[in-house]
Amino acid sequence: MLTPNKEKKEIHLFVNYTRWVFFVFFFLWGTFLSSQERFRRNPPPPDPLPVLHLPNLQSQNLTNGLALSVIRKENLPIINLWLVVRTGESSSPDGSPGLATLTNRMLSKGALNIAAAQLEERVEYIGGYFSHVTFPDYSIMGFSFLEQNLDDALYIISQIILRPAFSRIEIENVKRAIRYEHLANMRDPEYVARWLLLKILFADHPYRKGFYDDDMIRNLTRSEVVSFFSRYFRPNNALLVLLGNLNFPTATRKVSSFLNTWPKGELRYEPVESPNANKKMRVCFIDLPNTNDATIFMGNVIPAATDEDYFPFLVFNQVLGGTPNSRLFMNLRESKGYAYYAFSAIEIFKSCSVFSLKCRVRPEVVYSSVMESLKETERTLKNKISTSELEEAKSYLIGNFPLGIETRERLSMKISENLALELGNEHWNDYYENIMLINSNKVFEAVQDTPLLTPVVVIVGDQKKIIGHLREFREVEIYNDKGILLQKLKWEGEDS
Amino acid sequence: MEHRKLLTSRLLFILLSPIFLFSQQYKVDLPVPHTQLTLKNGLQVLISEDYSIPLVSVVVSYKVGSLYERPGKTGLAHLLENLMFQGSRNISRMQHISIVNKTGGVINAATTEDKTLFYQTVPSNHLALVLWLESDRMKSLTIEPDIVSQAKNALIEEIRQRRTTDPYLEIREIFDQLIFQNFAYYHPVFGSEPDLRGITVEDVKTFYSSYYVPNNAILCITGDVDTEKTIGLVRKYFETIPEGKDIPVLESSLFPKAEGDVVRTHEDSLATYPGFYIGYRVDSPRTQDYFPLKIIEYILLRGNSSRLHRRLIVRDKTAIQVTGGLEVKKDRGVFRVFVTSVNEVMKSRSQRAIFSEIDRLRTNLIPQRELKKAINMFEFDFRSRYSSNLARAFFLIDTLSDSESGNQTYNLSNYLGVTASNIQVIANRYFFQNRIVLNVNTK
Repeated sequence: MLTPNKEKKEIHLFVNYTRWVFFVFFFLWGTFLSSQERFRRNPPPPDPLPVLHLPNLQSQNLTNGLALSVIRKENLPIINLWLVVRTGESSSPDGSPGLATLTNRMLSKGALNIAAAQLEERVEYIGGYFSHVTFPDYSIMGFSFLEQNLDDALYIISQIILRPAFSRIEIENVKRAIRYEHLANMRDPEYVARWLLLKILFADHPYRKGFYDDDMIRNLTRSEVVSFFSRYFRPNNALLVLLGNLNFPTATRKVSSFLNTWPKGELRYEPVESPNANKKMRVCFIDLPNTNDATIFMGNVIPAATDEDYFPFLVFNQVLGGTPNSRLFMNLRESKGYAYYAFSAIEIFKSCSVFSLKCRVRPEVVYSSVMESLKETERTLKNKISTSELEEAKSYLIGNFPLGIETRERLSMKISENLALELGNEHWNDYYENIMLINSNKVFEAVQDTPLLTPVVVIVGDQKKIIGHLREFREVEIYNDKGILLQKLKWEGEDS
Repeated sequence: MEHRKLLTSRLLFILLSPIFLFSQQYKVDLPVPHTQLTLKNGLQVLISEDYSIPLVSVVVSYKVGSLYERPGKTGLAHLLENLMFQGSRNISRMQHISIVNKTGGVINAATTEDKTLFYQTVPSNHLALVLWLESDRMKSLTIEPDIVSQAKNALIEEIRQRRTTDPYLEIREIFDQLIFQNFAYYHPVFGSEPDLRGITVEDVKTFYSSYYVPNNAILCITGDVDTEKTIGLVRKYFETIPEGKDIPVLESSLFPKAEGDVVRTHEDSLATYPGFYIGYRVDSPRTQDYFPLKIIEYILLRGNSSRLHRRLIVRDKTAIQVTGGLEVKKDRGVFRVFVTSVNEVMKSRSQRAIFSEIDRLRTNLIPQRELKKAINMFEFDFRSRYSSNLARAFFLIDTLSDSESGNQTYNLSNYLGVTASNIQVIANRYFFQNRIVLNVNTK
């Protein structure tokens, strides 16, 4: 039994012990909690760069010259088929821009033994749909459908290729649709600005035919469509890309059985020369009523994607205006507050590329925005890019590449582009390596003799709000919505 | 001594208790293989592996949208969506976007009636980075007066831009008001200028603290990830975020009793062509009726060989465009058709043609081939819903939301099994009477 003194001592020891236990407990708990939150203060480092296994492309030329490529992809019971014809708007006759587009679109409008309405029904019955896109250098007809219907799909393709109808009624319907689409697009300031920019840059070049207006479509005839089709839609001028859960030998056998009677054509390949770059800055304006802001596109012709300077140029573009972290955006939007957005981009064609800047700005700062863009371009041209910016740009290009081929549509488009423009392994298997090898010297050397400081500048907006702010340019070309030059405005007392 | 032992053991238990905070894991049978778990703070997590490409998509879906806004405070959900990019405790303003861009990734967000989604796709070696970003803004968003003010102004400018460039926006809003009747359902997601001006910083803070909590959210990660490692990262970044208390619940709301057909006319100064809306109300749309209704959408409106396209655009040429479909907002659904025509005569003919086609659907069994066609087209679109990492993430989130409400809209077989009699029964149930028509005249 405890005596009173001993009991007091016991209690005292117990209280001290308890105090220490609680102290240790709360110390450890506090450390535990604060260590939990400390990690939030900084971004975690990335894991090692993952390996990108590009889809395996198996290819073979059929006996009639049709190039077949098959990519096995098992994740969905859907097949994507892309028929790529190595002919685009640049091959449309001079007086018939838009003909390549019309001919391509007419492919899904019936065959001799299947009327247009019936064809639509058959395509949709197999859970399918068509898509069409025509570029200056090539044309694509896309056909996606449920995989169990491959034979039906190939039969449909064979009929529209081997026995196209080109009915007059459907030609008029498609012409009307193309015209309405163009008119609807011409309400979008970005579309208008890009359209006029390329129309002007390619003014003396076959590529200009890719930038037609609605009136030009109106005049196209059935005999022109038939003639264009007969001349260019030939197996030895085409590629067929298939993507799905497909076995290559089986796919080859099936495609061959449906399309081996597609006759070869006599085709003379005439390389298209590169257009001349614009040598003196030009400012061009199109009125688009009821728009609050000014949309600016400015650019010039640069070397083609097959040129050795292309990859350094890609890095240059990234530094200048590839993302909201790039120089243009940080300057025009974040620093000066001129622009809602400001970016640069490279668009590729077979014989050249086009480098362009785009921004949307308040009307009163149009001149300042153009000048600031030029200043930023010059700064990037004339000074070697810092290591940190270079590595950031390369990291972006490498990180973004898989996104460009993630979906079936993007993958098919990328492969079609690579094959149609004959870009080679540099843009596919060797892409990462090509980017990694870039250094600031290579970028600097690649961009020195380029005409980026003498761009064509296109400004689109409401004339009532903008025209007064264009005075500082001293000379502005005014265009209408057909791309026709109406007049040149000169300030300092002259009008022409 | 006995007291010491007891106390010590109790304290040891408390100290060691974090070890017992493991969350439950289980698999659910769905068309997209995935793992589902719920953290202790209520955050629902979905993870789906796909090694085909070294990318990962991360989506955080908060179960809140414009339906949760009160009159006078519309646009709040959309405003908060914007503010979520304006910085948090450890991430400065706009840095979230900048960081994602630097990886080569892409980022975006969207507000709907019942959810707000934040999503990004990045190279898979940056998964931890994205989880760090998302968890920081869930935990500690910066809400300051000047930032709120700037965001409000930007959205007001956006509303003005929309109203001047979208010719049929006003008519759509009027139609929504007519057909949904309940304010929560018909006001636009982007809100109104006066309401946005009236929103205070306190409003924003209350909305954020009420709804932007882990037990009101779904985190979905799809792509080139290892499930176990990902769970570890998710727990690290999200598990210590406190759960929200008393999350306001949206009351179930069905349409009031219908009172026959409603026909109205509106003159629109921006409309370039005359047109009209026709709509039918669908109560409790996420029942078995949903599946045939969805197929009816394809029969009438999807594809060039659909009934309305064939009749109005191709055969009769009375319409310039025909669009529409089944739209569901929580407990209320609407089947709507929108048409524009070149003039009043064509507009009237288009309207009569639509009523005639709907009557045909009600009175005649649809031919098997036509039904099969609609089902095949639906199947194609349905399967395309999980064709990319991001699409798969959205699909899984929708699936989880649907399964919680007892529906199986994610189950393809429900649609594949729709019969011609189902179509006829449903057409008679919903398209027989109580239609809403809003005619648009140009000025």
